Amino acid sequence: MTHRPTARLRSLLALLALALGLLVPCLAQAHPHVWVVMASELVYGADGTITGVRHAWTFDDMFSTYATQGLESKQKGIFTREELKDLAEVNVTSLKEYDFFTYAKLDGKKSPFVDPVDYWLEFKDSMLTLHFTLPLKTPIKAKGIELEVYDPSYFVDFSFADKSPFALKNPPGDCKVALKKPTEEETSSQLQKLTESSFAQDSSRVGELFANRVSVRCP
Amino acid sequence: MRAVMRRRSLWIAGLALAALTVAAGIDVALAQGAPFGVPRPPSPPPASADGIVGWILTEQARFYRSLSGLVRSAKQDGSAVWSLLGVSFLYGIFHAAGPGHGKAVISSYMIANEETWKRGIVLSFASALLQAIVAVAVVAIAAIALNATAKSMNEAVRWIEVVSYALIALVGARLVWVKGRGFLAALREQWAQAPAAASPALVPNLALAGASAGVVETREPVLAGLIHAEHAHESHDHHDHDHAHGEAGHACGCGHDHHDHDHEHHAVAAADHRDAVVTGTAHDHAHDHHAHDHVHGPDCGCAHGPDPKDLAGPGGWSRGLAAIVAVGLRPCSGAILVLVFALAQGLFWAGVGATFAMGLGTAITVAVIATIAVGARSLATRLAEHRAGRGDVLVRGLEAAAACVVLVFGVALFAGYMVTERMI
Repeated sequence: MTHRPTARLRSLLALLALALGLLVPCLAQAHPHVWVVMASELVYGADGTITGVRHAWTFDDMFSTYATQGLESKQKGIFTREELKDLAEVNVTSLKEYDFFTYAKLDGKKSPFVDPVDYWLEFKDSMLTLHFTLPLKTPIKAKGIELEVYDPSYFVDFSFADKSPFALKNPPGDCKVALKKPTEEETSSQLQKLTESSFAQDSSRVGELFANRVSVRCP
Repeated sequence: MRAVMRRRSLWIAGLALAALTVAAGIDVALAQGAPFGVPRPPSPPPASADGIVGWILTEQARFYRSLSGLVRSAKQDGSAVWSLLGVSFLYGIFHAAGPGHGKAVISSYMIANEETWKRGIVLSFASALLQAIVAVAVVAIAAIALNATAKSMNEAVRWIEVVSYALIALVGARLVWVKGRGFLAALREQWAQAPAAASPALVPNLALAGASAGVVETREPVLAGLIHAEHAHESHDHHDHDHAHGEAGHACGCGHDHHDHDHEHHAVAAADHRDAVVTGTAHDHAHDHHAHDHVHGPDCGCAHGPDPKDLAGPGGWSRGLAAIVAVGLRPCSGAILVLVFALAQGLFWAGVGATFAMGLGTAITVAVIATIAVGARSLATRLAEHRAGRGDVLVRGLEAAAACVVLVFGVALFAGYMVTERMI
């Protein structure tokens, strides 16, 4: 053998690795285009069962402007609830495909939601707020409730409002609420921990890193 | 030694394939629709062993979020426009990175196509420019001229996407057709060589032996059917074979000799090769037992697929145009949002400036990636020159894999569109 291409092989490998290294993070575009600040409630029925979750999601100004572009209104740049009715309809309908970005576990068991009710859009300070209630498919009593809100693909960034981010409505007793909202440092250290394998396994759930977690403990 | 090398080749090919598959897979997984009705790019998740990803993610989000504030400031103070343009440019560089901007498609295209880095840069800039133009055009026509709603704009963008994805699939299908055949031809050649390695009987140069012009060998019926028609494979004994390549439109000879650098230029080869004329092109290989020194004519890549000229020549540019359009047609969501926001602030021109600044940033990132792809590709080619059979199979395999990636991207994105049609 006159040629010993091992060195070339190595350099080719190195180059491929470099290309891959550059390509993959570049593919890692997943950054939000929509920002939502939320204030939510866990809703209890009269019998102490958990019936659902009520959200109020406020969108960033750029998205709010985009969403209201071309909508008719009596007063330019100001939209009433009535004028935003169709848009609200469209929003909640389209949210269904994304499971409303809301994931609930009651006493450790995943509990799905059904179609939203009681929804409308509010326009205030050039920002839209979507109000809606997500009824649990089967209202049940539970002592431990884990709620997560995030977009798995991280197109939408969710964060809790600074002021009254979460409340319990008609809780049966003295329940404790703990909110866990990842800080920027946590998020970036989580991201840095991401390896090729974790991303190959379940590539579409990066948004989970940014999940806003609520846990409620009732006696 | 030989076995080790073969394993290594397979490993490299596997790695390259895995890389491309991963790249494709991500896009596929995320080719979904728009919550709240923003045209949503297929956005794969960040992943890396280091902190670069997190940093990119944080930075671009930060740049993006500051855009609306900068548009507002520009309304009060004209000089803020410069900040807006600067931030848009940086955002473009960081964000460009998204598959919506066709990096993966362009890179795969570059790898599959033996493109030059110059063409890579031209492709990158042209597609980014087109992307910016489309974004401006969509908003100008839909929002300004028609006062369309976000919903209608989404529909418009969706239609543009369909065309774009279909074009990517078409470009990919064409590449798979061409490159797949090249790969199969190389595989076949490799296969034909294998027995030679096992029995080093010396039949040094049988380029002319047993060649019966224009007859496709049917001894291996399965493979024979797969090799493209212009390829006439004659005289497949186990030590040598003789190819007539019909694609390149000119004669091209490659002598493979044991420890012997045989400089056969195509004119000589053509003269020698009177009997292997198929479609006006002769391309003959004499393979001896185990060393393969490819000698390349001045304008002949000794490629077992189409000649590079075929792709980079005048006809190549029109094909390049298809790639530019396919990739650049889809406007980026960020640009559309900024444009609409700027319009609402009465500063549409600032939005246009921001869009083009983003496009410039995007172009730079894509060009860098495309150049790396070209570098990897040309290194692989140089490697192949020294390792005739297997190296060639490796390069052809890489090309075919890259071609498949382009096709898979196109189809998956297109299919993703179909899924999201019910979305607003």
